[in-house]
Amino acid sequence: MNKIEAKNVDVYYGAKQALFDINMDIEANKVTALIGPSGCGKSTFLRCLNRMNDVIDICKVSGVVKINDYDINQKDTDVVRLREKVGMIFQKPNPFPKTIYENISYGPEIHGIAQSKSEMDNIVEESLRKAALWEEVKDRIHEPGTGLSGGQQQRLCIARTISIKPEVILMDEPCSALDPIATAQIEELIDELRKEHTIIIVTHSMSQAARVSQNTGFFHLGKLIEVGSTDKIFKNPTQQQTQDYITGRFG
Amino acid sequence: MNKEERLIKRYKAEKRFRFYGKAAIFMALLFLVVFLTKIFSTGYTAFQKTWLVIPVNYNADLLYLDPDKKPTTEDINDADFYEFGIETFITLDPDASEDQIMELKKMFAFTFERELKYYLLDNPDSFGKTVDVKLTASDDLDQVFKGNYPRDIPENRRRASDYQLKIFDKLNEDGRVISEFNASFFTNADSREAELAGIASSFMGSLFSILVCLSIAFPVALLAAVYLEEFAPKNRFTDFIEVNINNLAAVPSIVFGLLGLGVLLAVFGLPRSTPLVGGITLSLMTLPTIIIAARASLKAVPPSIREAALAMGASRMQTTMHHTVPLALPGTLSGTIIGLAQALGETAPLILIGMVAFVNTIPGTPMDPAASLPVQIYIWAESAERGFVEKVSACIMVLLFFLIFMNLGAQLIRHKFEKKWN
Ligand SMILES: Nc1ncnc2c1ncn2[C@@H]1O[C@H](COP(=O)(O)OP(=O)(O)O)[C@@H](O)[C@H]1O
Ligand SMILES: [Mg+2]
Repeated sequence: MNKIEAKNVDVYYGAKQALFDINMDIEANKVTALIGPSGCGKSTFLRCLNRMNDVIDICKVSGVVKINDYDINQKDTDVVRLREKVGMIFQKPNPFPKTIYENISYGPEIHGIAQSKSEMDNIVEESLRKAALWEEVKDRIHEPGTGLSGGQQQRLCIARTISIKPEVILMDEPCSALDPIATAQIEELIDELRKEHTIIIVTHSMSQAARVSQNTGFFHLGKLIEVGSTDKIFKNPTQQQTQDYITGRFG
Repeated sequence: MNKEERLIKRYKAEKRFRFYGKAAIFMALLFLVVFLTKIFSTGYTAFQKTWLVIPVNYNADLLYLDPDKKPTTEDINDADFYEFGIETFITLDPDASEDQIMELKKMFAFTFERELKYYLLDNPDSFGKTVDVKLTASDDLDQVFKGNYPRDIPENRRRASDYQLKIFDKLNEDGRVISEFNASFFTNADSREAELAGIASSFMGSLFSILVCLSIAFPVALLAAVYLEEFAPKNRFTDFIEVNINNLAAVPSIVFGLLGLGVLLAVFGLPRSTPLVGGITLSLMTLPTIIIAARASLKAVPPSIREAALAMGASRMQTTMHHTVPLALPGTLSGTIIGLAQALGETAPLILIGMVAFVNTIPGTPMDPAASLPVQIYIWAESAERGFVEKVSACIMVLLFFLIFMNLGAQLIRHKFEKKWN
């Protein structure tokens, strides 16, 4: 079953069109990688899926984006409820300048998920465990999250996101600021998270896309050139442009 | 010109430039040192006060009280301490003529009646006995004792007469002239008599004005800044507002005084000369300073923090209240303190709304008439009496103390609480 269906999505930044008629289906509980040269609109598309483009004044989105068969681009869509279901991890780790505990308890708190302190403690521990961070920070969860290393900060952001159990997690180049070891840890984590979440990851590293994803979409100049199983895209693409990009002839 | 010469010339130019820079800094420091030295050397004596300790006979007859009965508080309050005081002063020179008695009286501050009465109220056992009582010396003798008045000029150009000086010197020889910390400078309101004048009224006036100013300017400015920075669409209209806030910051303060006079007093009929009106007027002045500081601090909060909160499903309001504003608060607070320090030193608008009136009571609320510290400086600087000269400097010292204190506080907040973003 398709978790997300995008139909005829156009995005404009002011007069400049950034996405052209995107149609894409995303399967549940799989990792979908979005690849393509920089500036081709991967992030823009990702942000269409949790309406983060709303924040940018000049950005206008049209078309239909259905999540669980519900069109999120309607006027009366509650973006708070939407973002509770669709979490996001950013390129640069952005923990709140608060303690590790507070970073994770924030989401459950504003959505009223935990009824008691002990329940909150459980959520914090569980989220940190799922983000493979618990063992490293369990003795200092009341220290600032900003004091962690880059890789730990990114896992903290992942723990923060999964604390409210989103169905979908969007990741925008989550490893681009990290060293290879931290990157490997996150990739391992992504594979684990796939069991409970649908994951869409933007990456500029084709090897990463090949390692972590089951499906891949290739973007170029604001258009979705080709989408299919990662295997097929990397081994046997139908489009010449995809072939050229995969083999490193441009991008 | 060959290469070598050009090089030498360039070095020389650089050397000259460095010298000019150092000279400029030296000049600035020199002015500061001269200014502070002048203020301190004239002002420090104001913190000392001269007292004359004289024997007082709390004789029942002199006070027209019943000698056989211990006087009640009421009896003492009703007694005439003026005549009693005169009788007491005569004991300093039993042969004094009528004129000389008047001169004796003028050696003391006019509060001698009160001081004599309070001594008896506080020490009821002194009734019927002769005791030493400490009385405030007159301004003239205070200045003589502090060495501010030359004694060797002709008598007719002197405020203290030869006769007074003779009595004074005799008292001094007997160790009956003492100089103590001038607490009344801090506890008294303004007075026409320099030896009694204090800054309590103007201090409270300034305090109330600043509090009124803070309680209006801070919330309004914070709301305005948050709205402009976090919620308002970026369009021509908000650009226009932004330009005008900057313009507002450049408006001379006296214009705000006129506004206070024309609107707050004339239209709304708020009470004249009060810290309430002063504070509102100052808040108009402080508003743009705080808005600009708050906006700069809000701008400095990285967008990634807002994105993080929004992506967690926080509403815009929650994002602002839970994350952006708390992170911008230290910068806003330090800007606020700087703005308040400016307001504290402001004189012109307060003069226009009448806070320049002579106030000899200490205001208990912002609705009572009051002066303010800078206006007090202005009022005293206008006075002819020598006794006020040291008061002016002392008042400047107090004002400077608070200004430096506030600026240090602002610095501290900035360094200690402001988050560094990498
Ligand atoms: N906030 C913005 N304002 C204006 N143009 C933008 C903005 N964000 C992205 N764009 C433009 O949209 C296009 C797609 O950008 P983006 O989605 O960030 O690409 P990618 O993530 O694939 O590198 C680019 O041409 C970029 O210049
Ligand atoms: Mg991008």
